[in-house]
Amino acid sequence: MTDQLLEHRRSAEGADPAGQSTVSTASIAGRLGGLRLPRFGGLILLAALIAGFGAAMPETFLTMQTATSVARGQSITIVLALSLTVCLSAGVFDLSIGSNVGFGAVLALSLMATHGWSPLLASVATVFVCAAVGAVNAVLVVGVGMDSFIATLGVSSILTAITLMASGGVIVGPAPSGFQSIAAWQPWGIPVLVIYALALCLVAWYVLEHTPLGRRLYATGANKAAATLAGISTDRYVVGALVTCGLGAGLSAVLLSASVGSISPAAGAGYLLPVFAGCFLATTQVKPGRYNVAGLLIALFLLGTGVKGFSLLGGEVWIPDMFNGLALLVAVGLTVYLQKREIRRSKVRLSPSRAPE
Amino acid sequence: MNVVRVEIQGVSKDFAGQRALDRVSLSIREGEVHALLGANGSGKSTLIKVLAGVHRPEAGSVVNVRGERLEFGSARASHAAGFRFIHQDLGLVDELDIAENLLLGATASRRFWLSSRREWDSAATALRKHGVNLDPRRLVAGLPPSEKSMVAIVRAVEDGLHGGGILVLDEPTAALPPDEVRHLMDLVRRLSDRGVSIVYVTHRLHEVFEIADTVTVLRDGAVIGTEPIDEVRGDRLLEMILGRTLEPYQAADPSLRGEPVLEVDGLTAEGIDDASFTVHAGEVLGLTGLIGSGHESILGATFGAVPGSTGTVRVSGRPLLRAGPKRALAAGIAYAPADRRTRGALTDWTVRENLTLPNLKPRGLARRLSTRWESVDTAHWLRRLQVKPGDPEARFASLSGGNQQKVVIARWLRCLPKVFLLDEPTIGVDAGAKLGIYRELRNAADAGAGVVIASSDAEELAAVCSRVLIFGGGRVVEERSTPLSPDSIVAACMRAAAPSVSPGERVTATTSERHQRT
Repeated sequence: MTDQLLEHRRSAEGADPAGQSTVSTASIAGRLGGLRLPRFGGLILLAALIAGFGAAMPETFLTMQTATSVARGQSITIVLALSLTVCLSAGVFDLSIGSNVGFGAVLALSLMATHGWSPLLASVATVFVCAAVGAVNAVLVVGVGMDSFIATLGVSSILTAITLMASGGVIVGPAPSGFQSIAAWQPWGIPVLVIYALALCLVAWYVLEHTPLGRRLYATGANKAAATLAGISTDRYVVGALVTCGLGAGLSAVLLSASVGSISPAAGAGYLLPVFAGCFLATTQVKPGRYNVAGLLIALFLLGTGVKGFSLLGGEVWIPDMFNGLALLVAVGLTVYLQKREIRRSKVRLSPSRAPE
Repeated sequence: MNVVRVEIQGVSKDFAGQRALDRVSLSIREGEVHALLGANGSGKSTLIKVLAGVHRPEAGSVVNVRGERLEFGSARASHAAGFRFIHQDLGLVDELDIAENLLLGATASRRFWLSSRREWDSAATALRKHGVNLDPRRLVAGLPPSEKSMVAIVRAVEDGLHGGGILVLDEPTAALPPDEVRHLMDLVRRLSDRGVSIVYVTHRLHEVFEIADTVTVLRDGAVIGTEPIDEVRGDRLLEMILGRTLEPYQAADPSLRGEPVLEVDGLTAEGIDDASFTVHAGEVLGLTGLIGSGHESILGATFGAVPGSTGTVRVSGRPLLRAGPKRALAAGIAYAPADRRTRGALTDWTVRENLTLPNLKPRGLARRLSTRWESVDTAHWLRRLQVKPGDPEARFASLSGGNQQKVVIARWLRCLPKVFLLDEPTIGVDAGAKLGIYRELRNAADAGAGVVIASSDAEELAAVCSRVLIFGGGRVVEERSTPLSPDSIVAACMRAAAPSVSPGERVTATTSERHQRT
């Protein structure tokens, strides 16, 4: 009987969750965390970028205007990335987050501009509808049992289609000026969008890292089977995460439509990559291996500063995409590389002749 | 039938000074089913690995196949000599169909153009030839375990074996439900009729009597005896395997127990068939049996971790209405699964996070989890179970197996369970940590909990349990209580899997179990 036990033991030990070949949100987080980059290396890199750009163009880059513009530019990305952080922490992808925000913004603006709804009513409706999109994702992922990657990709495509259909492909807007003021206000010279984003960061940070809710959410994403056996209703957490993500997209959509006034139906797609890049990079920072809020802030300000700096240098329209794309490729490329190395190592570890019977 | 095909002469093998095989000699004839029996550590696996070319035996060892000397340490030579091995991991690809699996690695796949029709035809011919009635276009993933085994066997014997080779089956029925074993037996019988020599490794004595022509028993690396099956009895085989005579069966002593805390009635799930048992406060109950008997999966099903299970589970007399880990936990059941690295804990998390997870204690309206407070709490438990290092912030994965298991046990003791279920609690745990774990479980029982251990380790059960239930065919077939000995438990497990040996005891045990429930 002990032969079988040994076999059992081997399989238990061989089944290293990190060694699996499929890419899960937890394995991405784990491997990126395993990079052992300095926990605050992003801050050093950020300082280096600022110093570099500052030296290159002291008059234009080292200004309060640039700082507020970077912060303002990243604030909606931050709100979206926080929502995505909730999703990824629970172990599911939401690829519909970009198209959901574009859809929401077009919905909010067309309700106000075309249908004459009051800004408050239109905003509430937008947040509600976007959260409902999250609920559809949840039904597909938890109810039907689809892979979140595929389900949200499909939903994303459908949302893009609906957005184009409803807008007719033309720019929607403008929003009433009263509505635009909720994003334009600058108390003490700080854009109010930045204040909103930072306040949400504070809430998310507290809930994720200091409450049972956050702990159980992370446990669900880290190992669903183990979390279930620890008495966590993991399915509920996944549903909650996807709905929260939709809710966050709705909130971002309202802020976006207020800040830009009128919007192109294709605007949402541009958010997908920076948001994912930010979340993945966040797992290398502050709390390695976890999608964490502090790391997210560092990552997004790093990306925002890089994009801003290069734009000021060259002014080319392709710079944001290029920079974000490179950052994501470097991050995920390293993930895959390290995963392979880990698998190779674990094989070496397992292969020496097994214990004699 | 009487021509010797494989002659094993004086094969020895040492591992780090320990003798794993001691001058083993035996011969395998053409077309015979030769059963290889032995307890754990008896050398069966080592012998098989020598034949497979995995291990190189000591100088002086000789294996002749059809009169030709086998080159040791080469899997290729072993394959060329006609050895084919079927392990518990069959090596089939679930996503491919039967025909594709049959042709994996075979010469037919070296064509440039792969024709499904041709593959299907040749696969159908091969299957028919061995009396296996399966459509080659079916996906392997959808096959029941016995048919998967048969596909693997057909693939092995069709892979360049002309005129019969030597098929080594390593516990082919371990993962099979009892009703599917029959089909596999038929195939084995047909193969031996075609002249294939079969080495059949198993723990199930009744299969040996059913299928084997000859039986060889190994113990401590040496051959204890080779006998024709007609000249040996079951009791004698057990004695040869264990090296001791059996102890007489003793009735259960129900006197030293408290109230029932857990009553499982008619539980049915995968591998479990209408199983019932009762756990009393203050006892350590053991569940055991051979692999596939149901003892490995019943605790998970009791905890509600297995979807689709039916039956009732009562905790202190109150039924669990809707099964599920969360509800079971709320009712006072704790469960530590066997595979702690994949299901028992979050290996990348810290000891503190793992230990507190099932019973988080937020404070105040803000539901704040205080890291400092959790650390103090965790450090207390780490001290109590003597976990090393006692650092609450250590990564779980960085701990040794024994310390990991102590953390898992501490996590559940911290929930103050009424019933504590553990699957294989000391797998990968060193001897020192084992004693610590046993002591904690004993303490928990003394404090009034009902502790249930499902284990395949008879020594462990004899050491910790006051009562042991033996499983066979997915249900309890026998109950034993103190004084328990490892031998008597092993013997009972084998009896449980071989109903013909002692049917009388099974009936009494089952009825006594029924009485306790009512």
